[in-house]
Amino acid sequence: MSDITTLNGGSCIAFKGKNCVAIACDLRLGNQALTVACNRDKVFKITDKTYLGMTGLASDVDTLRSAFRYRLNMYRMKEEREIEPETFAHLVSSTLYEKRFGPYFIEPIIAGLNSNNEPFIAAADLIGCLNFAKDFVVTGTASDKLFGMAEGLWEPDLGPEELFESISQALLGALERDALSGWGAIVRVITPDKVIERTLQSRQD
Amino acid sequence: MECSFGITGKGYTIIASDSNAARSIVKMKTDEDKQKVLSDHLVMTYSGESGDTLQFSEYIERNLRLYGIRNHVELRPRAAASWIRAQIADSLRTRNAYQVNLLLGGFDLPTSEPALYWVDYLGTLATVPFAAHGYGAFFALSTLDRYHRPDMSLEEGLDLLRRCINELKTRFIVDLGTFKVRVVDREGVREVKL
Amino acid sequence: MTSVAPQKSKSGFDFSNYSRNHFLDGKGLGGFTATSTGTTIVGLIYKDGIVLGADTRATEGPIVADKNCEKIHYISDNIRCCGAGTAADTEFVTALISSNMQLHALHTGRKPRVVTAMTMLKQRLFQYQGHIGAALVLGGYDATGPQLFTVAPHGSTDKLPYVTMGSGSLAAMAVFESGWHKDMEQKEAVDLVVAAISSGIFNDLGSGSNVDVCIIKKDSTEMLRNYVMPNERAKKEQKYGFAKGTTRFTKEHIYSMIQKEDVFEVGSTAPTPAPLPAAAAGAGGEETMDTS
Repeated sequence: MSDITTLNGGSCIAFKGKNCVAIACDLRLGNQALTVACNRDKVFKITDKTYLGMTGLASDVDTLRSAFRYRLNMYRMKEEREIEPETFAHLVSSTLYEKRFGPYFIEPIIAGLNSNNEPFIAAADLIGCLNFAKDFVVTGTASDKLFGMAEGLWEPDLGPEELFESISQALLGALERDALSGWGAIVRVITPDKVIERTLQSRQD
Repeated sequence: MECSFGITGKGYTIIASDSNAARSIVKMKTDEDKQKVLSDHLVMTYSGESGDTLQFSEYIERNLRLYGIRNHVELRPRAAASWIRAQIADSLRTRNAYQVNLLLGGFDLPTSEPALYWVDYLGTLATVPFAAHGYGAFFALSTLDRYHRPDMSLEEGLDLLRRCINELKTRFIVDLGTFKVRVVDREGVREVKL
Repeated sequence: MTSVAPQKSKSGFDFSNYSRNHFLDGKGLGGFTATSTGTTIVGLIYKDGIVLGADTRATEGPIVADKNCEKIHYISDNIRCCGAGTAADTEFVTALISSNMQLHALHTGRKPRVVTAMTMLKQRLFQYQGHIGAALVLGGYDATGPQLFTVAPHGSTDKLPYVTMGSGSLAAMAVFESGWHKDMEQKEAVDLVVAAISSGIFNDLGSGSNVDVCIIKKDSTEMLRNYVMPNERAKKEQKYGFAKGTTRFTKEHIYSMIQKEDVFEVGSTAPTPAPLPAAAAGAGGEETMDTS
């Protein structure tokens, strides 16, 4: 367990639905086996309809969050428009690959609706190798378990409410079997006209 | 073997740290103040590598003071915490990183909210209702988790701190001696005797 | 000592985290796994050109990170490159060389040659002494005819009529060795490539899922994405949907993106109001607000 990517614990998952996407994360921040905080949201708003989830070393999550905020603000000012989730995924990828030989220890996932309201999800590894999935993406210390849950529960063309139930059950199921994640979860379902943010209860052990 | 605690309550934050200065197995001093008062409403405890802690905390102290002098306004706790975190994260990218663990206790005047931040040497920043660093964390966090309420009065908060320290006295193999305790509230920072 | 402004590296890479990670390594906190394409990639020369093939599995340790990734990368219209090794490296090194090839083509005003791409790739990989973990199969058709190369991570290259790379290269090469001959027909060549990739998919754990094929001829390039899909997941017979309200939540917050706006049109811009009833007509003449 003394691996830098699992030091703080935490997991994220994103599901693609029909005209909507969902992204969810747990709330634990730990220091190896010691739980330090249970209010650590790992999903950040990028634009109204694009969210970024980051798991791994919490320090790097904070550092990258401000790095992305800077780059996004520059993009907004130069382009005078909001960034598309596809474009943002490439921004994340090249930011991480720039540090190929001294990486940030985080693995990001991106979920959003583009300007045509088409759902988009993507994941990257810690050096920025993008994975454009058509169904779901997962990351974090519970990623193995989340893969299994998602393979079982994900279905095509789920509407916002069905998507919420599926992603929540997938995440809660994985949290049952991950010692390093848990202590509550936040699920966000992004639809063309609103973002539904719900806080879930989960195991406290 | 250093240990520090932080507890927030109704309109205040308590910050406590042990006062031992040790080198190897020898206790060199028992009245060391391992805290820095960074502004009227912000205190920081520090622990870690002995040279780094003082060097770093003085660097932080003076830079926040400079900010106050230049801008005629002190950084709010959240902003100060964020900046301090960035200093640790940046220093970690150098050959000789500061190995310091911090607790930042403050009172945010504009919102009238107490603030407590847990920061470790990796630059991890957590906003928490109560916190502990060092071996004490293993003993006290469960007690804090059980008895802490956000609407505790100051006396209740200090009682909770006494409970934690008492737990260390009875179960922890090392005697940590007396604790230096400071309270931050609307009126500012003051030292209290337990 | 403190915040050192990160120095922009000329190579495009930023090493500012290196010493931190080295320090963490010393504390026993090091180690990470990047996505790698365990991979079977192949290429062969046939009568009219080149056929390239690849599987579509990406792995992260023992986990399948991507079941259907693309490993045949675009270099130019007449050149493609299959990548094995560290996934991010194959992705970025081919994207870089693709850009440089286009610049080179615009500069020289000629159709790019495969050797040019091969030289650019080997020079970059050699410069990084194998740390850019990309093992490549480069194929294309240019002024000198069909060209096929492999580029190893350290920068060495081979020029052969049929090649395989990646963890499934042995399985694939066995198929090539038994089936390849000079001047194959297209159908025959594609079938052999599919057989070679399939043997990687089924016998090498690092390779899996589908077969991607790319046929490059003198005047055309055909990218056959998911040409064969031998590992389609069986359709689920039943749904696993949860009834609404299954998951209990403690808090809900809805950010609405619909901005409601009341438009008040005043004076002459207002549409003509509907004729007022006779009683109200007496009070007419004053300005009305259309609040519809």
